[in-house]
Amino acid sequence: MFRQKAGWRGLSLQTRLCWAGFLFVLPALLHLIAFKFYPMVEAFRLSFYTYDLMSPPVFHGLENYRAVWNNPLFHQSFWVSVKYMFGVSIPEWFLALALALLLNRRMPGRPLIRLAYFFPIAMSQIVVALVWKFMYNPLGVVNTVLGSVGVGRINWLATEETALPALILIGIWRGIPLFGVIYLAGLQSIPKEYHEAATIDGAGPWQSFIHVTIPLLMPTILFVMVMSLLSAMKVFLNPLVMTEGGPNGTTRVLPYFIYETAFAYHRMGEAAAASMVLFAFAFALTLIQLRLLRRGGVE
Amino acid sequence: MRRFLVVCSSFVLIAALWAGSVFAQGITWWEHSNPPHNNYSKELVADWNKKHPSMPVEYEFFAMTPYFKKLSAALSTKSAADMFTVIDTLLPSFTTKDVLAPIRPEWLGYKNLDDMKKAYLPGALDGYIHEGKLYAVPMIAATFSLYLNKKHFREAGLDPDKDYPRTWEDIGRVGQKLVKMQGTTMTREAFDFAMHSSAWTMWYLEGLTRQHGGGILDRAGKKCTANGEAGVKAMQVRSMYVHKYKISDPTVSVATNALPADDVPKGRVSMFITHAGSVAQFGPKMMEDIKVVPFPQVNPRKPVSVVYGFALAVNPQIPEAKQKLVHELIRHVVKNPKEWYEKTSYPYPSANFLELPGMDEARKTRHLDVFIGDIKTGTYVTRTPFYLEISDAMHRAMERVVLKNEDPKASLDQACKEIDAALAKP
Amino acid sequence: MSRKALMSWGGRLVTLLTIAGIGLTLLPYFWMLSSSLKTGSEVFELPIRWLPREPQWSNYPDALSRGAFGVYFFNSTLVALAVMAGNLLFCSLAGYGLAKFRFPYRELSFRAILSTLMLPLEIVLVPTFLVVRGLGLVNNYGGLIVPLAVDAFGIFLMRQYIKDLPDSLIEAARLDGCSEHGIFWRIILPNCTPALGALALLTFRDAVIAMIPTAIIFLFFQRAFVRGIALSGLKE
Repeated sequence: MFRQKAGWRGLSLQTRLCWAGFLFVLPALLHLIAFKFYPMVEAFRLSFYTYDLMSPPVFHGLENYRAVWNNPLFHQSFWVSVKYMFGVSIPEWFLALALALLLNRRMPGRPLIRLAYFFPIAMSQIVVALVWKFMYNPLGVVNTVLGSVGVGRINWLATEETALPALILIGIWRGIPLFGVIYLAGLQSIPKEYHEAATIDGAGPWQSFIHVTIPLLMPTILFVMVMSLLSAMKVFLNPLVMTEGGPNGTTRVLPYFIYETAFAYHRMGEAAAASMVLFAFAFALTLIQLRLLRRGGVE
Repeated sequence: MRRFLVVCSSFVLIAALWAGSVFAQGITWWEHSNPPHNNYSKELVADWNKKHPSMPVEYEFFAMTPYFKKLSAALSTKSAADMFTVIDTLLPSFTTKDVLAPIRPEWLGYKNLDDMKKAYLPGALDGYIHEGKLYAVPMIAATFSLYLNKKHFREAGLDPDKDYPRTWEDIGRVGQKLVKMQGTTMTREAFDFAMHSSAWTMWYLEGLTRQHGGGILDRAGKKCTANGEAGVKAMQVRSMYVHKYKISDPTVSVATNALPADDVPKGRVSMFITHAGSVAQFGPKMMEDIKVVPFPQVNPRKPVSVVYGFALAVNPQIPEAKQKLVHELIRHVVKNPKEWYEKTSYPYPSANFLELPGMDEARKTRHLDVFIGDIKTGTYVTRTPFYLEISDAMHRAMERVVLKNEDPKASLDQACKEIDAALAKP
Repeated sequence: MSRKALMSWGGRLVTLLTIAGIGLTLLPYFWMLSSSLKTGSEVFELPIRWLPREPQWSNYPDALSRGAFGVYFFNSTLVALAVMAGNLLFCSLAGYGLAKFRFPYRELSFRAILSTLMLPLEIVLVPTFLVVRGLGLVNNYGGLIVPLAVDAFGIFLMRQYIKDLPDSLIEAARLDGCSEHGIFWRIILPNCTPALGALALLTFRDAVIAMIPTAIIFLFFQRAFVRGIALSGLKE
């Protein structure tokens, strides 16, 4: 398609490559401009307006940011989100690695065992939410299993102390296989010779893990850390389907706060301001992680 | 890479498909979820589609809380259905924003709005009128009444016809004979309030607060008064069955949207407050064991209750000719109040409803007089465009008191702070 | 016991634990399947029933006949396939461009693309909807497909994978007179099938009904899948 164009041949190879690369990226870039960057800029603009979605927006300066700052429900949501993010991702970092290490071992029936563990990846989010909602029911599976070891009946999703941990557990259950696959891929890309060399030098399995596996896996670890936090930050469907943010706002994560403010209370501007705060938070968190890990020896 | 080319060309092919609009002609209708009601709506739609094959209705329904959020979002982005069912509590947030088409009484066969009002129960249209214009046609007038399980009553040595509760305190007293325990675990609640949605919380609390002589907002609708004496008493009633009488346990209920009364037919609760629609949800067999009595009162001699309603509204974005057709559809949907009642068990607020031929039977066997009685003592809930924010704040206050045994006054103070902050915003 | 024997016992124990862990992972599926064959009242019966008394196979035809199930199935499969195809095409193109070419603002573009991963979807819902409406895609398949046809995660995945392909492959083709898009179709794509497979799976899964076929695909292609996600070139 490029060759037919008149003049294309006349350009120097370097210019041609420059254009070719740009043209390859262009379709995706245009798409992201239309469906991501433009909406984002629009949201940023809206954060300075009062807008109820139905009548025209009115400019109000920093009013929305002030309102968000003074809104105790926003503060509550912020901390709920922080608890959820770290509650989900920190166990994921370790458990997903443990799973990958397990599944990287030789054992009979390994493809089937891997399939069983990776199955939650293939389940659509809405089905996950509905099945777990059933299971957390006061008369559901979770209480029955715990009841057999003497734990009393708990309404998991309607008790302030348990609702968020219940959602966190689902997040972990769903996240471990996904990040497990990524770790597994990382493990498989480590050449066997490295471990062999370590064994010859007299290193035990633990030392070999610490001194060979971990350093070589560092890029993967970095990726998993960043991605797991970001995906936990965006959780929305589970609180929507299972708790509607309750009880008493203990599962109202920031994306749910934003959705509720925008579409139930018709305060688009305030919702936009809240999402700018969320975006800034995500950005800062990612930068900090990258810095820390770079200092820790990852290029 | 032939395969890849095939995949990609299929994308192009499908992308080409979008140009040909898939949902071509017809009328779309959205509604909240309520199983018997949805089934009847489907029958009506099938009937309409037979008569109007060129203008078929596409009917969809959604769980209530998400539905009203979806509806708001759709209305604001001008992507709502051609006709949709609205709840009276949300009318102020729509009418003040101009997102509903005014109803034309003449297209429904009336001379004018006054003529139309005469065909309905007094006040039945009031919840849907804004600045002299009607914005929705009521299909349901609903109210809350007390359902009791006669079998449970008799097993406990109680006579459901004589010993049924008239007041909130009665419930506590009677309930102590009905509650069932297994060790320290409650296996059957004597009484329960639904906890699944802020809308129900608001109906309960608004009824209770009014019975104590107060209101959620002041008369101007500018300030929260729910933390006054009446509101605190209301909240004490709301939580006393859990904390004082111990005949209710929030961890027993498994009823959620869209069947908040589901614990009743499953025998997990003996007394429950719900609307007339539950008669159809439970079915005739279950209803043999059920008695319905009026909404409990603080003072039974001066009964106070709340009514609410669902109504059909028209999308103002569609051309006038289509709006007229949607009016035809509304006429089709509400044409038979008796059949409406038989299928959904919601009273229809037409003026002659109780006098319709064949209603005598329903008055005797389906507790119709109780429901109509509660409708007559009832008024619509507070009119405010901030209804959802207020009800969410009240719901949280209720959760703090019921689930964590927080002090009602302190909890309502916090709710009022949140509500006042919302009311003060532009 | 010698150290070696201890190790082998430990290994067996770990294998056993691995298999036991499957139960925990699959419990929700088991419960979903068993509930789908129960009567309404059996689902919440106490004490709990792990298996239905009598499997209610009629639940399936009942659910299928309720609503236009055929239409739902057709719709969601069509949409999922189209979204998948869009992602495969556009993400691999962009991934190639970002991995193997130098052009002004390349790094900036890449970072900007990655930054979209931090966007909470809810807030861009309304502006996105306005774009969709502006393109005339409301109430048709296009509205469901086009906004999802490119995803930054896919671009990232493809870029990382293609980055690790040796440059010599491309240069040799170029010397042979192959056109730039020819290189993409004939050299790059055939060499990144594992990554394409992984991307296809991840983008396809959100069609609810597609679960079972996804599982089968996974069983047969897990090696490719894992290799596809081999983010060995993750370092910047």
